[in-house]
Amino acid sequence: MTAKKELRRVYGLAIVLLVVGALSYAAFPAKTPEQPPRIMLKNIAGKVLFDHKTHTSVQGYGLSCLDCHHTDDEDETDPELCGEGGCHEPKSEDEDMLNRRDAFHLQCIGCHQEFEVSPLEEQCELCHVM
Amino acid sequence: MLEQKKFIVSHAPFLHNGSSIAKRNYNIILAALPAVVFGLFQYGMPAVGVVSLSVSTAIIWELLINRITKSKISIADGNAALIGLLLGMLLPPVSPWWLVITGTFIAIIVGKQIFGGIGGNPFHPTLVALAMLMLSWKDFLDFDEHLVNYDFDFIAVYPLGALKHFGVAAIESFHAGGLLIGKQTGGTGATFGLGLIAGGIYLMARRIIRWEISISFLGGVLICALVFNLADATRFAGPSFHLFTGYTLVGAFFLATEDSSSPVNFIPMLLYGATGGILTVLIRNVGAYIDGVVFAILIINILNPLLDKIRPEALGRVA
Repeated sequence: MTAKKELRRVYGLAIVLLVVGALSYAAFPAKTPEQPPRIMLKNIAGKVLFDHKTHTSVQGYGLSCLDCHHTDDEDETDPELCGEGGCHEPKSEDEDMLNRRDAFHLQCIGCHQEFEVSPLEEQCELCHVM
Repeated sequence: MLEQKKFIVSHAPFLHNGSSIAKRNYNIILAALPAVVFGLFQYGMPAVGVVSLSVSTAIIWELLINRITKSKISIADGNAALIGLLLGMLLPPVSPWWLVITGTFIAIIVGKQIFGGIGGNPFHPTLVALAMLMLSWKDFLDFDEHLVNYDFDFIAVYPLGALKHFGVAAIESFHAGGLLIGKQTGGTGATFGLGLIAGGIYLMARRIIRWEISISFLGGVLICALVFNLADATRFAGPSFHLFTGYTLVGAFFLATEDSSSPVNFIPMLLYGATGGILTVLIRNVGAYIDGVVFAILIINILNPLLDKIRPEALGRVA
């Protein structure tokens, strides 16, 4: 292959891949599924990778949505956002509303203690990435 | 004895065996394709976007710097495309576009062209970029965080992350067979072990990469991981886990073997590879980082000129 042909081929490759790349980003933006398989809970104590699917699937703990999520209106079945943008804001100073840290700790630790499933209280390192 | 012919040089015209830098680079790209294609099928369109953008922008940065410095257009040698492809293989499959473009900028401009272009770079350009991205935007290199929306038929936590944060108990469900056939999360082109090994064997058989470096790198990983594992199996994972997770295989066959930043003599190549493998496991087991391959190879890149001082004795003698 001549040098000119090789150069033309690389120009072509660069242009085609640039278009494919731009289209992939533009046409297929990352979407969060209605039931996320896992959720990364970011916080200052160390991230927690919560396995949502294991908690909801029949092969896992088989929990229903409203076992953990709850709503203002009892007839409402669609879960609402929990932490940031939802009711339990991370830095909430509202005395009537638990902040995100307390709400999640109560929910997770409470349930795990009730069913005596590890991780239990004071086993921070089993959830948080330290 | 004086009659003995050791090296015969004849006059021109010479026969060229047809090899070229471009052929070498395109062969390396070809060898990487099985692992890349597997990754693209595993992660879908987001991974296609990352890899495509990485290759194309690496070529474009190279072209731009060629124009700015008024030097010969060097994109046809395939080196920029290879650097871009390797970066795309190592990044999380859902990396944002600006991270990819910044990465290829660092790789081509800071990692390669500043040192005078191909053959002048003391470090692997892709690893310079990845190390800078890792240090600058740690969270964007967190595979667990960026792959939360993928649902696989295997445990979708990053194996090395699970080991680092939760210990050996958290990786009991990973087996060598599953890891080899890509049942693990990671970089788009870094999870399919069999594909990477096949590519590595192809490159070693074609003598495009030196087997001494790859095999000693893997040997270093194996022996170091084995020593740790034998010392305390409750804290340290076994050698097969370290060999088939993270960037180990892509490091052994595609990163440590880069021409410009690796030695050429036999003993130096063995020392270079083995040091890389040992450092990889040391960083993983006792260091701060989840995967040690990136920094281990950058460190052996620094050692390269020193190691190449160990050279065979020159023929003949000064009277």
